[in-house]
Amino acid sequence: MEQAKGGDEIAFRTLYEANVDRIYRLAYRMVGDEDLARDFTQDTFLRAWERLDQFRGDAAFSTWLHSIAVSVSLNGIRKVDRHRKRERSLEDAVHVAPRQRRLEPDARDRLRGAVDGLPEIYRTVFLMHDLEGFSHGEIAEALGVAEGTSKARLFRARAKLRDALGDAMQEYV
Amino acid sequence: MEDQRMDELTHLLREEYNPPPPTPRAEMWEAIQARLNDPGASVVSLDAVRARRTVWVRRSMAWGAAAAAVLVVGFGLGRFTAPTSVAEAPGASQAPDPQVLRLAATDHLERTEALLRMVRADGRTGQLDPAVGSWAESLLTQTRLLLDSTENDDPAMRALLEDLELVLVQIVGVADTRGADGAQAREELTLALKGIEENHVLSRIQAVSPAGSPLAGT
Repeated sequence: MEQAKGGDEIAFRTLYEANVDRIYRLAYRMVGDEDLARDFTQDTFLRAWERLDQFRGDAAFSTWLHSIAVSVSLNGIRKVDRHRKRERSLEDAVHVAPRQRRLEPDARDRLRGAVDGLPEIYRTVFLMHDLEGFSHGEIAEALGVAEGTSKARLFRARAKLRDALGDAMQEYV
Repeated sequence: MEDQRMDELTHLLREEYNPPPPTPRAEMWEAIQARLNDPGASVVSLDAVRARRTVWVRRSMAWGAAAAAVLVVGFGLGRFTAPTSVAEAPGASQAPDPQVLRLAATDHLERTEALLRMVRADGRTGQLDPAVGSWAESLLTQTRLLLDSTENDDPAMRALLEDLELVLVQIVGVADTRGADGAQAREELTLALKGIEENHVLSRIQAVSPAGSPLAGT
């Protein structure tokens, strides 16, 4: 870390390699678009590089990085919101086709719609906790809220999903 | 019961809701590294490209003509001012001014990157900006001029320009399918998008442009 702070690019590369998977996965979950997820991930690391001297080591480097990633991704999504809502791209279709899918397209669209329809603060916590396995402690640090707030938001996110899906939930599970 | 259902739903969503593809580690690092090594480089983000689209298109047409003119003048000067003395090494004075080449190549790669990002994003909806065709044609002309001027100088740059030439030809082809049936247009578009991805032209542009351009120092 000290070497990276001193401008050592190789040391920063090590930090990049150790953290990039989780950052990219989170960005992709949030935006659902390969190009934007790449842009957000790259911006996250570039901002981290520019602000390394501000990292005091109170929290883990990964936690600090996650807070930048969430901020970059949410700001980016707000700016290009229409991209998030557009139909899946040709590239994505090619990419996901070989995967085993359990749902019919209609059912998948309804599920996506329910998650997309969550208010941003609930959706972010839901994606981080339930889909990407972040702990409430990590989420709280990344979002700058109390752990209890993170738990409350997750509870509400799940309740809203149940409400949105209603009886259709039985079709899925 | 309700909790169990929620757990199952969550499990399902992990597979169905934006399942992340493999992380493109190397490609992203190349882009990051290019920007670390040139903090002053402008970041050609999708959003910025879209916001500046109109200005870019107008400027690109003007710049295209200007850069082409600069290159042509460069060649012309090299040829017409070349001494005819047999004592001089053949071709030594005919090389275009490296400064001119560097300027033209850097600007060219930046504008080509902007076009490719726009095409890649717009291409997904199947609706390309109407100005893309003429913009791509202009860039294609400059790519060929640069190819002529980088003969054997720099194999990496030459390979990149050759790949860009192919991709730009495909994009011009997409624009030419306007008015044709949708299937043909989609097929052309898919080929162009594949060309962009498979040749990794965007990451290669970012790796060499602008400060890291192999033309620098020639």
